[in-house]
Order: sequence, then structure tokens, then C-alpha cells
Amino acid sequence: MLDVLGDLAGGFGVALQPANILLLLAGVLLGLIIGVLPGLGGTSGVAILLPVSVLIAGAGGAGGATTAIIFLAGIYWGALFGGVITSILFNIPGEPWAVALLFDGFPLAKRRGRPGLALGSSFVASFVGALIATVLLTFFARALALEAIKFGPAELFAVFILSFTTLVGLGSEAPLKSVMMIALGLLLAAVGFDSLTGEPRLTFGHVELLSGITFVPVTIGLFGIGEVLASAEEQGIGFVERLSAKVGLRDIGEAFSALRKRIGMVVPISILGFLFGVLPGHGATAGSFLGYGLARQYSKNKEDFGKGEISGIMAPQAAADSAAVGSIVPMIALGIPGSPTSAVMMAGLFILGLQPGPLLFIEHKDFVWGLIASIYLGHLLTFAICLAAVPLLALIMRTPYAIITPFIIVISIIGSYSLNNSVLDVGVTIVFGLIGYWLRKLKYPLAPLVVALVLGDATERELRKALIASGGDPSTFLTSTVGGFPLAAIMLTLSVLLILLPIVRSLRSRRTPTGGTAPAASS
Amino acid sequence: MRRYEALTAAVIMAIAAAAMFDTRRGALPDVAGGAPGGLSGGFYPFWSAAVLFAFSALVLLRSLTVAQAAEGVFKDRQSVTAMLWLAIPMVIATALIGVLGFYVMTGLYMGFFAAAIGRYRWHWVGAITVLFPLVIYLIFEVGFRVGLPKSVFYDLVKF
Repeated sequence: MLDVLGDLAGGFGVALQPANILLLLAGVLLGLIIGVLPGLGGTSGVAILLPVSVLIAGAGGAGGATTAIIFLAGIYWGALFGGVITSILFNIPGEPWAVALLFDGFPLAKRRGRPGLALGSSFVASFVGALIATVLLTFFARALALEAIKFGPAELFAVFILSFTTLVGLGSEAPLKSVMMIALGLLLAAVGFDSLTGEPRLTFGHVELLSGITFVPVTIGLFGIGEVLASAEEQGIGFVERLSAKVGLRDIGEAFSALRKRIGMVVPISILGFLFGVLPGHGATAGSFLGYGLARQYSKNKEDFGKGEISGIMAPQAAADSAAVGSIVPMIALGIPGSPTSAVMMAGLFILGLQPGPLLFIEHKDFVWGLIASIYLGHLLTFAICLAAVPLLALIMRTPYAIITPFIIVISIIGSYSLNNSVLDVGVTIVFGLIGYWLRKLKYPLAPLVVALVLGDATERELRKALIASGGDPSTFLTSTVGGFPLAAIMLTLSVLLILLPIVRSLRSRRTPTGGTAPAASS
Repeated sequence: MRRYEALTAAVIMAIAAAAMFDTRRGALPDVAGGAPGGLSGGFYPFWSAAVLFAFSALVLLRSLTVAQAAEGVFKDRQSVTAMLWLAIPMVIATALIGVLGFYVMTGLYMGFFAAAIGRYRWHWVGAITVLFPLVIYLIFEVGFRVGLPKSVFYDLVKF
């Protein structure tokens, strides 16, 4: 314990050097801008600025590599917070892990007219989640990475299934429709080449479908365009948002007060998010969805979810940020990236002449602890900048309809196009915008569809990897153990219960599940 | 409400049925051992489609047999018109990206809204038409080197 604290103090000595602080600030600001821009996120931001980090390392002398990686990490943290802004203000997720924020962030900002509170709650939860995760990273980095690596395909498959089942009944009136949407998402995720056999699936002879349907255009369509169309119908065209003019300290105070009431939820979800982040290759997205699902499952106000419930903002955001910090663990301790962004950062480490892995803790102690200390400082900086900018950011919502509405559609088009430079993706966005509009009219929950689409590929991959490893024996899901515990079996049993209970309840009810008044739009 | 519910569930059932038909050869585990792990590429989509089909059928059945909410799907004719005012230009603008390119389309689309919905004065409409694409160009093409679709007249005007 004391040696860890000593190492951390040394790390702060490195991170607090003026050049490191300055470049951390530059990274955070660039990350925030990148996170807000459609089609760009942490991964692309770090990738775009990788050449800059090499220049920084060259100019920085002996500690140049540490300065460079602190700069890249700053971009990552900035982009994490920046992605929140588009999700909450425009219903367009900047990053996959920001998707869960749409469900309650946007309704609180728009329908309930509290953009400042929505953003403030999200930033506060981000900060707390990241802080908890960084403390865990400081003390348990190596030990946790070694445990996480023991998770096999059976356990990872069970984790994904559990993520889905927590979402059944998300719009509590419609568990049957939730299952439909999960199945539709899994089906859409399967379109294109089978990554294992190369076999084309569900393309119906269309060559352009061979590369599959990616979640970004679909999500932008369902949530961004769909919401704009629904708003036009509900509120008419030409309306101007009437939002509270007093966005600022009051909202921030309320956000802290809301956090105090929910600290019992935010802390365990942050720990869970961190553990998800440590799982190599998975991380923030699954963590944020599970965080949202768990917050809803254990909430006394289930019916408020999807309508701007603050727990629905804080839980996924705390989980996502702690998972992002967690994804650094396997990168530095084992040389295995925990997320796409940490994979790009790892490429940066190689370029900078560092070999990620357990030896990094011994051979480049200053670097590792400097990076860990910079995570504390980076989140503190990002949090302060974001809080200061909340009133400015919320002003965006007061832009006249005739400008903001076509602008949202234009940035949605950029977002869907710039992922693969594909005009087809723009078409997918528009089509799913119309589909999303219709499904929300009939109170189909859209969140399970997006979750299944995002995680569908990984779920199938782990299922098949588990079966390949067991020689095709499905009992592997019951017999596989981690440290003597049948984790996969436990999670799958829990999943079955979570899916059956709301369905049985729904089938026994005499009233139609579509008869509720909860807006499926945001759930 | 009832007919829209039933029709939507039926359309989704049809999509699921088409997907099941397309992947039917991989529906059952490959006991002969030809596929890795005993599962061919069709297994996962087939059973996803099967679940979709079964649950759509349940929703369809319930929409026909269980009491429905009294409210309609649409609020009134005016609200549908408002939605169409937004949806139709959006679809047209998207269809024109291939010909006009992103920047010209954005300028015209933003200008159309400023003029038709905002009813701004002509100089504001002109400014919006020019400035929005210009700012987007500077941020994406110049700043981040993200190329956006160009018009068929790219040889004459470079956007």
C-alpha cells in the first residue's frame, strides 16, 4: 500500500511538470472538440493526433514519451466528456458508450427543459466514475488485469446476454417488444460476411450489404433523425425551444445533490464499469448499457426511466467513464488494449519505443505512474472545463428551429458518412430515421435494438469461440469456471430469470402493453 | 391504433421469415463437424430471426385480442403535415448528395429552411446558405482532413 502511494506521489511529480500540465490541457480541449463533432470520437481523435504526439515526444527529451502519452490520454478523457454533449443536446451519440445517455439525457434536456441539469449530472457522474476507477487502477492495476485475462469466451458470452436481458422491459410496458427489438438488433448485426467462415449472410444478393450494417448510421437515424421527426409532429414546425434561462450554478448544485442521493448506486456501478473496462476488447459500451439496465432494475422509479430520470444519466455515464479508465489496465499491465481507443494509444506506445506489458511497471516506472497521476489530473481538468462551459453549451438549445433542425440533420449526415466515407450509410441513417419515428409512435423501445446491434457481433463471436474451444459441446456454458466459480452459468441463469419475469407478467396482464403513455422515443 | 399495431407486427414477422428462409441451411448444429464449433454462419441469424418471428407473432396476436389504447397513432392532420414538411425535404436533400455534393446540398437545404420555415430576410438566408457549408468545410476538410462527398461539377468548382 505504502509503496503504491510512494509511486503515485512520484507520478504526480512527473504529471505536474508545466509541460505535462500544458499538454494535458491541450489534449483535453482537443478531445472535447473532437467528442462534440459528429463522426469523430476518442479513437479517431487519438489516431489523428498520433503524429503530433511523436513530435511532442521528440521535443520533450528524456520525459518526452510520458508527455506524449499524457497528451493522448487527455484527448481520450476530453472526447469521453464531449460525446456526452451531442447525446444530451441533440440525441446523437458521439461514441458507442454515449448511446445509453440518449435514453434519459435527451428527455431531461428537451422534454423537461433542463439541459444544464442533464449535462451537469452527466459530468458529475463522469467525474465520480472516473475517480473511483482511477483509485482502483492505482491500487489493483496489475492484479485485476491478471484476473480479467482468465475470462473465457463462455463468460464473455454470458456477460453480453446479461447486458441484453437487463434491458427487457426497459419501457416497462413492453417486454415483448423489447425482446423483438433485441432480436432485430442481433439480426441486423449479423448482416454481411460471417467473420469466421466468410459466408455472406442476409445480403439477398446486394453487394453493398456485404460489409454489414454498422451501428453508427442506424443509431443516428433511430435517435437523431427519428426524434427530430417526432418533435416536428408533436410540437409543430417553427417552434422555438423554451428552456430555463437560469442554467448554471443552480443546475450544478442540483446535480451534486442528485449525486448525493444516488451515491449508493453510482459507486457500485462505477466499480462494475471498471471491471468491464478491464475485460480486454470490451469495456465502456457494454459497461454503460449494463449500468443503465441495473440502475433501472433496482430503481424505485422504474416508470420514470426514459423520461429524463437522473439515475438513467448518472449510471451509464459513471460506468462508461470508469470502464474507459479500466481499459487502460490491460493496456499498460498486459499489453492488451481494453478498448479501441486504448488500442490506438497502445500503438502510440510502440511508436514512442515503449513495450506495453508487466515489465513496463519495472522498466518505465516514471512513465506508468506519471500516466496514472495524469488520469487524476486529466479528469479534474475536464470536469472543471465542462462545468464552466455548461451554460454556454445549453445555449445551443435556444437556437431557432429553422436553423437548429436542418443543422441536426446535416450533422447527422456527416456523422453517418464520415465513419466509412459511404453515401449508403447516409441512406441507412435516413431510412432508420423514418423507421425510428414509426416505432416510437407505436411505443417500441429503441434502446434494446441499438444495444443488440452494437454488441451483436461480439456476442456471436464469443458464442462460437466458446463452442469451438469445447469441440461443439454447449454444456461448456454451464461447466466453465473462473477461479472455481461457474460464472457463466450464474450469469446465464440470472439472464433467464430477468427475461422471463417481465414477459410472464406482461402476458398475464389483460391490458395491451402498448397502451401506456411512456414515450418509447427515448427508451 | 389496433390496425397499425397489427400491420407493423406483421411486417416485422415478414422480415423475420425472410431472414429465416435466407439462413435456413445453418439453422441446426452441424453434427458432421464441417463448421467450426459445430455452428455454421447461418445459426446465429436464423435463431435471432426465429425469436423475432415468435415475439412479433405474440405482439400481433395481442394487438388483435387485447384491448387497445383509445388514442390514435397520429395527433391530427396538422401534426402529420408538420412532420412531412421536415421529412420530404430531408429525403430529397439526401438523394441529391450524389449529384450536388455535400456542401451545395447543405447550403440549399439550410437556406430552404431559413426562407420557408424561418421566413428570414433574404440577406440572412444568403448568409446561412454560404456560411454553414463554409464552416463545415473548414472544420472537416481543412481541420481534420475528413473528405465529404463532392458534386458532379467538382472539376469546375472544388466542392
